[in-house]
Amino acid sequence: MLPLTLLHLFLGLSASLLGAFASDHQEETVKGFFGRNGTSQSTHTNNWAVLVCTSRYWFNYRHMSNALSMYRTVKRLGIPDSNIILMLADDASCNARNKFPGSVYANPGRHLDLYGENVEVDYRGYEVTVENLIRVLTGRVEPSVPRSKRLLTDEHSNIFVYMAGHGGNEFLKFQDNEEISAFDIADAFEQMYQKKRYNEIFFMVDTCQANSLYSKLYSPNILATGSSQVGENSYSHSSDKDLGVAVIDAYTHYVLELMEGINKTSQSTMQDLFSSIDPNKINSHPGVRSDLFRRPLDKTLITDFFGGVSQIEVVDEEEGVEEEAGLAGGNGEDSVSSTATAQARSFVIPGRRASRSKRHTEPISSTSTTTEANEIWGWVGSSTRTWGAVALFGGLVGWVRMRS
Amino acid sequence: MLLSRLATVFAAVTLCRAQISEYFDEKLTVTPLKDGKVASTLAFTTLLKNASPRNVERLHDDDDSQHYTLFPLALGQILREYGVTEMHLTLNAGKWNYDSWGHPVEPGVGTGAELWAWIGDGALSTVDARWKGLRNALAGLFCSSLGALDELRTTSPTEVFQPEGSLPSSTPHQLRHASHPSEHVCTENLTPFVKLLPCKASAGLATLLNPHRLFDANWHGMGVHVLWHEDEGVEVRLTFQTVSDPLRNYQARKQDWSFESLFGRKVERACPAARSSIVEVSLPQDSPYNLSPEPTLAEKDVAWFDIQPASKPVDISMSYMPDFNPGLAARLAKPSTPLSVQRTLKESSQAHGQLSVVLKNHESYPIQAVYLETMPWIVQFYLHTLTATLDGHPYTSAFSNLSYIPAVPHSRPSTFHVLLSIPANSTLKVTMDVTKAFLRYTEHPPDAQRGWDLPPAIIAPLNLDTNRMYTPTLLVDLATPDFSMPYNVIIFTCTLLAFLFGNVFNLLTRKFVVVSLKPAPSSTIKED
Repeated sequence: MLPLTLLHLFLGLSASLLGAFASDHQEETVKGFFGRNGTSQSTHTNNWAVLVCTSRYWFNYRHMSNALSMYRTVKRLGIPDSNIILMLADDASCNARNKFPGSVYANPGRHLDLYGENVEVDYRGYEVTVENLIRVLTGRVEPSVPRSKRLLTDEHSNIFVYMAGHGGNEFLKFQDNEEISAFDIADAFEQMYQKKRYNEIFFMVDTCQANSLYSKLYSPNILATGSSQVGENSYSHSSDKDLGVAVIDAYTHYVLELMEGINKTSQSTMQDLFSSIDPNKINSHPGVRSDLFRRPLDKTLITDFFGGVSQIEVVDEEEGVEEEAGLAGGNGEDSVSSTATAQARSFVIPGRRASRSKRHTEPISSTSTTTEANEIWGWVGSSTRTWGAVALFGGLVGWVRMRS
Repeated sequence: MLLSRLATVFAAVTLCRAQISEYFDEKLTVTPLKDGKVASTLAFTTLLKNASPRNVERLHDDDDSQHYTLFPLALGQILREYGVTEMHLTLNAGKWNYDSWGHPVEPGVGTGAELWAWIGDGALSTVDARWKGLRNALAGLFCSSLGALDELRTTSPTEVFQPEGSLPSSTPHQLRHASHPSEHVCTENLTPFVKLLPCKASAGLATLLNPHRLFDANWHGMGVHVLWHEDEGVEVRLTFQTVSDPLRNYQARKQDWSFESLFGRKVERACPAARSSIVEVSLPQDSPYNLSPEPTLAEKDVAWFDIQPASKPVDISMSYMPDFNPGLAARLAKPSTPLSVQRTLKESSQAHGQLSVVLKNHESYPIQAVYLETMPWIVQFYLHTLTATLDGHPYTSAFSNLSYIPAVPHSRPSTFHVLLSIPANSTLKVTMDVTKAFLRYTEHPPDAQRGWDLPPAIIAPLNLDTNRMYTPTLLVDLATPDFSMPYNVIIFTCTLLAFLFGNVFNLLTRKFVVVSLKPAPSSTIKED
């Protein structure tokens, strides 16, 4: 009886320890692959955006223009329509009062048309409600809701949440009818954290007293910014004489101005974004909340949130073949890294100069073999220690048993 | 043995695959109208030959793989998922003026969103559950809020909305119809529409789909129609109709039009996937004009252009010699339709209102027409007050075949269906008293002061060869509470204060004693 239980205990302990160490090793290899390139150190694999305009009526044209500016930016920088949830509470573009149907302009001279010919609005009109926003964020939607209206994020998604409208101290007005409070948003983000629905969230708000809206957040990995402090208004930028309404808000105007100068390969950081907004020009003091965000702001790229940029390794064809041949003889632990390099091989762009790719790949191939060796030795050492501990424990129990 | 078995399987598979073939045709119809405007209809038809709708009884099993090259996959998947045989979705903006513009090429011109579908019965899930799934799937596909077409707006008017194609005789089918008159149409509805076309917007007639000009038109509407023809196959017809105004520019004196002026674009090249690309232009009969380039085929009143073999960009234009004279045009032209309809709602108060429909018969023979009203529950009919007057005199033999499904408050709309007979060259006025409903506080939309849009009524003539007609939508004002917070706060506070103050004052200044009432003897009552 007792030797049987001892055997079971022994087997169970060893199996769990083996499992723990094997997955540990795989996680390190994956982290090593993602951290290999760039200064970003971000671990996200896909990008999503939730852009909300909460105001109805023609005179709130500028709020729809705000949301559409962000839509244009994220689409230009690579997030596809399937990963963007755009919520517009009213139709400004085809409004009967719009002198230029099919267009929403971002500046008074009507130089930039934000609507264009390829726009997909997911929630429009009466569908933009507090309930629908919270359902979208937390994923608790009815089964009949179509795929384009769902936020299908996972734990490696970076989400950009942008809200524009009329707001106040710790609340935001939806369609002049209901309000969402800062506590609701904080709880929604916490639900997302518990359900592993995001890697990092960037929360940007352009309303009056916007900084109060992110004051109640308490989930990790959230970076938040607002356009004005408590007690301050956010002002519109300028109005167009032909349209007769203000076309964009000041804060979003300057954000858009910065974004228009950025493309997918940009290395501009979030610190650049926050420093570029001049409080004197927008007549309000924007704020940033980064205590819940674990990466430094000057190392976080703007394209981590605004763009859908993927990590690509360019490996020269001959180097890749040698690497694979060299590692094929190794043991099973190398299989993960060799498949990684095999995948990297498929991204070879023809026409690249051989010298440039060699310079790029040589240090990687050398470091990969040395790190492989180190990892193998490390694993051997730690497993010896574990087995030794298990044997010692088994011996102690057996000695106590035999004595009594 | 194995080889022969493999060979037969291979042959069967290739034969089956060869039988399903797809054809794509595109057609543009341009018609100058008598008031100077130009109506244009773009129709993109994809035919999936020898295909048939999914067997509804096996809906819960996995579907066979569908391989399409030209047929839109997104739409096909939705229809097969919910077992829908025929579906018509239209998204229109504006009011179609039948008197000036005649009958449209595509009959579904009701303002807002209209969706009707013939859905097979007999699956494990009910028709209503699959209707809900269809609405929401189409809402996601076309970026419109069709999810709002729920039970508050859904009816089943089978006599008017007969299937335009065929229905499989093995399964019974049910009709579901819903309309949402306040739905907006904009570029976000056109974007997925264009993505369903084989050549997208880069070749063929689809290059004319320029949203900046289409949504600037006086009337514009988008349609998606899916039918099954028993001997042909499944047909998807994507349509876009516009009525543009060449005379809108104040400097324009002639009703000249061209592709550049109507759409802002020319057709640069033909779509290679199209079997035919035809432009059909109706020629004006009463004024001299010039049509360029030369049509491929021309008759007295119609000209056809085949733009498939075009080598350079195609820009068809028509220019008129004389200036446009609106008075002369109106006098010369006959009424564009045999029947003119006008619907009004007189609503003086919450409880008293009157719905009236005036039908004018311009022909010299009597017309039989079905009048269908699918009214939401917010306006309730008093059916006993239904009266008809002919040219001002009471007319009793106007109605026959009346069927009425009353509304269920907060739920089902009412379906009112009656066959009207209108004598020759006369005006029939149908009136009915209505009452407006009192909504619950949570049922008001965010812009409650605007009112509610009532869906168009449908007039379907029986003894004419024209299609159904839609009346314009109506706007009804319902009693709204005062949503303003300051007023509510003041009222509540004042009431509470008055109540508290009154009680405290009474308790402080009045003394409450119990008075016993003895029965009064008659001698005490005497005058002094």
